[in-house]
Amino acid sequence: MRSAAATWSLLGVLALLALPWLLAQVLPAGQAQFWTANILGRAIVFGIIAMSLTFLATYGGFVSLAQMMIAGVAGYVLAIFVDGAVPRIVGGLGYSLAVPLGLVAATAMGLLVGAISVRTRDIYLLMITLALAMGVFRFVETNIAWFNGYEGIRNVVGPAMPGFDVRDPMVFYHVALGTAALLYFGVLYLVRSPFGLVLQGIRDNPRRVAALGYSVALHRIAAFGVAGFIAGCGGTLSTIYNIGISPGTIGLGATVNVLIMSVIGGLGHPVGAFIGSLIFTVFDTFAATIYDRDRFNTLIGLVFLVIVLVSPDGAIGIGARLRRLLAAGRR
Amino acid sequence: MAMTEPAIHLRGVSRRFGALQAVRDVNLAVMPGERRAVLGPNGAGKTTLFNTICGDFPPTSGTIALFGADITRLRPHRRTRLGIGRTYQTSLLFNGLTLLENLFVAVRGLRPNRFSFLRPGRGDDGMAKARELADRMRLSHLLDAEVMNLSHGQRRQLEVGMALAGDPRVLMLDEPAAGLSPGDRPELLNLIRGLPRTLTLILIEHDMDIALPAADVVTVMKDGEVVVEAPPNRIADDPVVQSIYLGGVH
Ligand SMILES: Nc1ncnc2c1ncn2[C@@H]1O[C@H](COP(=O)(O)OP(=O)(O)O)[C@@H](O)[C@H]1O
Ligand SMILES: [Mg+2]
Repeated sequence: MRSAAATWSLLGVLALLALPWLLAQVLPAGQAQFWTANILGRAIVFGIIAMSLTFLATYGGFVSLAQMMIAGVAGYVLAIFVDGAVPRIVGGLGYSLAVPLGLVAATAMGLLVGAISVRTRDIYLLMITLALAMGVFRFVETNIAWFNGYEGIRNVVGPAMPGFDVRDPMVFYHVALGTAALLYFGVLYLVRSPFGLVLQGIRDNPRRVAALGYSVALHRIAAFGVAGFIAGCGGTLSTIYNIGISPGTIGLGATVNVLIMSVIGGLGHPVGAFIGSLIFTVFDTFAATIYDRDRFNTLIGLVFLVIVLVSPDGAIGIGARLRRLLAAGRR
Repeated sequence: MAMTEPAIHLRGVSRRFGALQAVRDVNLAVMPGERRAVLGPNGAGKTTLFNTICGDFPPTSGTIALFGADITRLRPHRRTRLGIGRTYQTSLLFNGLTLLENLFVAVRGLRPNRFSFLRPGRGDDGMAKARELADRMRLSHLLDAEVMNLSHGQRRQLEVGMALAGDPRVLMLDEPAAGLSPGDRPELLNLIRGLPRTLTLILIEHDMDIALPAADVVTVMKDGEVVVEAPPNRIADDPVVQSIYLGGVH
């Protein structure tokens, strides 16, 4: 059962690797590139951030609204330290140092959020993580010296070497896909390690976990650290994708969007984050043509409602229901 | 010959919950290898007595010793590592994990490498121990079954297996057969009877037909106090026990 899921995931990654090439065969060149970069690439980047939320919710039972903010920490640290960013805040580092620095910062922020919220659950955890996210957002928005306030930091173009330029949509797509695949399989590995098993134990029965001799607090904080690292990877990619970062990236709207992606995809398995982000991105992109640009929120709200009403466990829940129906039909 | 130290020795143990005195001045000595049954109506304080011994709710007064060593104030997992294993009246299992994973988590919790990001390898001794426990509980055919899909009887067996993870010297079972259908009971009771005599066993059970044959000594509780302590053959016709169980006025 479990190894079957891993095999399917591997096949999925291979299919995604070949997808841009396939698109180029069936679509006009401009369209194929648009789909590769602006829909698939973007969906993967946001899927990574959503997966950090899904990871915590699925295996720990923690719903954190701080994940977009933590992604932003990686993006801002990168933008502050990397050479070529405008305005220059600190600068002096190449991407090979600035990116890891951003990831360390995001992981540290994850650990901090985990430590601050370690005694809270359910709606209180939701509120405290939201408060932390909004606190950082407001600070960033009003601080000029470090974050250039409302305008943010531009011109974070990403690394380029001869033959490898992330501004090339194909290269960016494959970098994002490779990162997502590593993180995704990393999560699948981790959840069957002692750490992952205890995390699920905390979700099912925290009292028993403590009685068995584990530190619940240590495992919780570590889980937020892992999720912080994942979110940081997404934040780094999204900053390069957007060629910079501004406070809007980590505002309330963005925070809620990540939650919506996770929920419509389904909180039962990390793959839900990517399915949710793809659905979200498609609607976000085509809302204008389908309906009306300004009504995007209405539209995605309706999609959200329909999916959650039809299947409380999201799109992957619909898939599971269909499989069961088909299996029952065959019998 | 020197007297042997009791495995579990309670002196003047009480536990309050606010105004409620759930356990009142209990003195109890259970000898190594003994089978002790604790009987009493609902709300008598049996589970609370277990909780004071295991540390979930330490006593508000009195002392508890394990083979002569004071454990009154230790945290629950410290007591587990010193050799107390327990099951819970209502199952406290990890529903989203498999049976093997439940046992593995119970075993790993006792080891220094309990916090780890690395999956157990092929030769991992914790995993080997978990398989051995499943075998002892006759659950080897269900290793990869998710616990939420187990039958009630299988869950109870798994509970006992998890309580044995630390190779306890004292095993405490809180109504292990509760909620089992009559058909499921013999399997579990045979398992319990088959436990080695090196293990001291304390068993809460309010069905006398189960408790009496399994016990060397029976303790009867009511309203937080020990009211009778006697060998099983003297329990059934003890007037105090009769008044409790037949609801008669004493
Ligand atoms: N955690 C608790 N908080 C408050 N009261 C409790 C708690 N645990 C048990 N009690 C009370 O203590 C009394 C004894 O309960 P318990 O030990 O569960 O009895 P038994 O196991 O013999 O049925 C009951 O009145 C119960 O309501
Ligand atoms: Mg009880």
